[in-house]
Amino acid sequence: MSDEGASDRAVLGDRIAGAVLALLALGAWWHAQTFVTGFMQPVGPGVFPRLVSVPLGLLALYLIVRPGLNHRWPGAAALCRQLGVLLLLGAYAAFLEPWGFVPSTLVATVVLMRLFGANWRQALPYGVLLGLALYVLFEFALGIPLPDMPGLSV
Amino acid sequence: MEILDFLAHGFAVALQPDHLLLALIGCTIGTLIGALPGLGPVNGVALLIPLAFNFGLAPTAALILLVSVYYGCMYGGRISSIVLNIPGDEPAMMTTLDGYPMARAGRGGEALGLSAVASFVGATVATIGLTLFAPLLVKVAIRFGPAEYFALFVLAFATIGGVTSGSFTKSFIAACLGLLLGTVGIDPVSSVARYTFGWYELYDGIDYIVALVGLFAVSECLLFLERDRDKATAAMRIGSAIPGMRRSLDCASTIGRGSVIGFISGVLPGAGASLGSFLSYVLEKRWWGARGKFGEGDPRGVAAPEAGNNAAAGGALIPMLSLGIPGSGTTAILLALLLSMNITPGPLLFEQQPDMVWGLVAALFIGNVMLLVLNIPLVGFFAKVLQAPSWFLMPMVTLVAFVGIYSLNNSPFDLYMMLAFGVLGYVLRKLEIPTVPVVLGLLLGGQMEFNLRRAMSISGGDWSILWSSGISIGIYLLAIALLLAGLVYALMIKKRLE
Amino acid sequence: MPITTTKIIPRLGASALLGLGLAVSLPSQALPIDECIAPADPGGGWDFTCRSVGKLMRELDLVDGNVQVTNMPGGVGAVAFSNVAGKRADDSNLMVATSTVGMTQIAQGRYPGGADTMRWLAMLGTDVGVILVDDDSPYETLDQLLEAIVEDPTSVAMAGSSGAGGWDHIRALRLAKAAGLPGDQIGALRWVQFDGGGPAVTQMMGGHVDAVSTDLGEIAGFIESGDVRALAVLAEEPLPEPFEELPTAVSQGYDVTGYNWRGFYTGGEVSDDDYAAMVDTLETLYESDEWKEVAAQNGLVPLWRGGEAFNDFVRESIDDVEAISREIGVIQ
Repeated sequence: MSDEGASDRAVLGDRIAGAVLALLALGAWWHAQTFVTGFMQPVGPGVFPRLVSVPLGLLALYLIVRPGLNHRWPGAAALCRQLGVLLLLGAYAAFLEPWGFVPSTLVATVVLMRLFGANWRQALPYGVLLGLALYVLFEFALGIPLPDMPGLSV
Repeated sequence: MEILDFLAHGFAVALQPDHLLLALIGCTIGTLIGALPGLGPVNGVALLIPLAFNFGLAPTAALILLVSVYYGCMYGGRISSIVLNIPGDEPAMMTTLDGYPMARAGRGGEALGLSAVASFVGATVATIGLTLFAPLLVKVAIRFGPAEYFALFVLAFATIGGVTSGSFTKSFIAACLGLLLGTVGIDPVSSVARYTFGWYELYDGIDYIVALVGLFAVSECLLFLERDRDKATAAMRIGSAIPGMRRSLDCASTIGRGSVIGFISGVLPGAGASLGSFLSYVLEKRWWGARGKFGEGDPRGVAAPEAGNNAAAGGALIPMLSLGIPGSGTTAILLALLLSMNITPGPLLFEQQPDMVWGLVAALFIGNVMLLVLNIPLVGFFAKVLQAPSWFLMPMVTLVAFVGIYSLNNSPFDLYMMLAFGVLGYVLRKLEIPTVPVVLGLLLGGQMEFNLRRAMSISGGDWSILWSSGISIGIYLLAIALLLAGLVYALMIKKRLE
Repeated sequence: MPITTTKIIPRLGASALLGLGLAVSLPSQALPIDECIAPADPGGGWDFTCRSVGKLMRELDLVDGNVQVTNMPGGVGAVAFSNVAGKRADDSNLMVATSTVGMTQIAQGRYPGGADTMRWLAMLGTDVGVILVDDDSPYETLDQLLEAIVEDPTSVAMAGSSGAGGWDHIRALRLAKAAGLPGDQIGALRWVQFDGGGPAVTQMMGGHVDAVSTDLGEIAGFIESGDVRALAVLAEEPLPEPFEELPTAVSQGYDVTGYNWRGFYTGGEVSDDDYAAMVDTLETLYESDEWKEVAAQNGLVPLWRGGEAFNDFVRESIDDVEAISREIGVIQ
């Protein structure tokens, strides 16, 4: 994975990650104590999560002390595009069932193509084409029932 | 040799022209489905089971068709691993490590050809092993009790530091994270909900396919957005599969070792193809040490897991057929397939329906030969697909993954989960924390925990059961040796860098 | 690809109708069952129930097209239960496989809802509990095994496909109680859970556990091959062929039976008409010779309870299991 920009000694990223993971391990340990051991079990449901959270916590602390290499984080423009894609995909997931597969997918394909750098003249026809192709592929070729548009059986 | 007669008969049946045609159709459809991220053998076989019935295929013909689809899907999974860095299914994960760097260097066709040959050899070794040793291996496999399985998983995680070229600490952190995520959901032993925070969607735990597609496909999509536009849009050269097939001669010893390791882990139910490809890769990397360029596009890094994975899939047939125990997710699909054809695997199957058993073995083998042949035109086809501009290709891959994941449970929650894993994968990759151990932890954690708890139930709470048998002590010694070798090797590299 | 043709024609027909402007909401009509959820991985009892019944429905032309089997494992059926309750309560094309194991979970409060959440369609047959040891085990009879348990409960490790307190475990504990194991000693008997009857038996063959309590159907092959010895079947009467030789627990002086019936439920908001149509479909299937054959092959005894009679039976089963669980101490 050497293609994501040159590596540099960005100590901060590892330290933050170490802190987050250490907190996660602590939280997992603490929460595992609330798991009730059931009827006749020598090893209850909390033991294994605690067994795992100990090395996780220790290694996370080690990461804070001795951070390693990180890749370069993206600039503002790329970050905006990434957030846009995430928001779009999240919205797609949310609207998939209420709107039905075809309309939500058509919107998603067109906008996604725009975010990946297509202009409107490319995104509109090819987005529609891709959306319909996906519908045909999954609904008919693969026989997977997809959510219909409200009131219609398409 | 009675078995050889049956096997010869199986081949005679499988080699009939109409059966060969079915194998060809099955392999092609399977490869195409498997190459779509998020879709794997489950979809392929589920799709074709009703079709096989609707066409009124005879049981043998149906079996050949479905088995070819199964193998086709597994091979298709390699294609997206190698050319897109997105594994089609979980055993294909290890192939991304060196396959994708090869593809980026314009050697994608070579990697695909190599993986086809390695898969073929792995499957052949498994077929031979199955034919000669099945009854013996069953006796060995049942010696593995909960304590021995736990030791085996400890071995897997002790070697995890060697998965990628990155730091040891980060590999282990990733593995622990995966193991912890694997405990989410209803604990099947005590029915206690763990880390579900009241969301019933989490009761069934985190689906590893959702995690896999999120960690690889979504994060790849996010990384793509920040790459240099001009560089990124330059289409990747795939090349031809032929040099890869020739290259496999150089990798002969790697393929041989990978096949044997994979076969052994396949025979143990519960270990399965993922562990087979993982151990083959890690052990091969240790074998070559500083002489290999694993993680940077070493052809041996493609050959070893591919041979291991297919040998494991073949080896897993032994417990599946003779004990009725599916070793892994993909074997479970084959089991469902056999059950739906009124074949009940179990101790009597080899005696009562030998024609079925050996017909299946022959069908699996023919499927592999077919893939080897199909590979050459298919590589050309996928090279064409990749010529598409990235503004079309990336949305297509992302949305196929999206709909594939949605179709698993018809659940938008899975999609949110996949996005969350996509962000996690992105951050981890930025931090140079490898994502492969996360999926392995998620995949193997459940079995690791339950075998620990089973062992403790057997001993009544006495921890010494874990190291009370020769097998488990042997495995722990091997784990310690490999861990030390890995540490020494890492130190050596560090010294050399300084 | 030929796949498209089977499904595309009716769908094209349907969309053509829509195109003609006939998208008027027609009075709802009972549609044939087209999906069966098996709340487990492939290979176990629930998966078998869905697959064999789904396949027979198609072969007997009780449905158009196929019955799709969806595996939805998790929480011994709790995941499928909550999924149907939450999302598909009015889906009359759907049925879900269940059994006494599911009733045990409901009785012990491990499903997100009680019997009233669902409509109970029918049971088609019943499996029977069996107590097994390895073929070279020192225990030759049920008496010897139970004597050893009563004498020193810690000396025997038993296994099955359910968790501690689940149906396989309950059946074993009832035998131990019938043999005179005092209530405060129950916790000393070791119980190990495996992913199914098959894995439990294989682990016993490997010498990791001493005895197995599970359903006959899934492991019948191991008895026929002689790899394991059945010490007792938990049926009232001796079983039909080929298992007529297996001794019942009752005949050995322990008044314990333990069946595991196989049946189906559907969502709680399915209309009365649709419900009745689904029960009818299942009854036609039950009456066919083909079902009797499939059942016999898999160690099931055909047994019919449908509609309201089944509804009452389910509630009765849950009450029974609850009482037993309380008696043994699984629930307080």
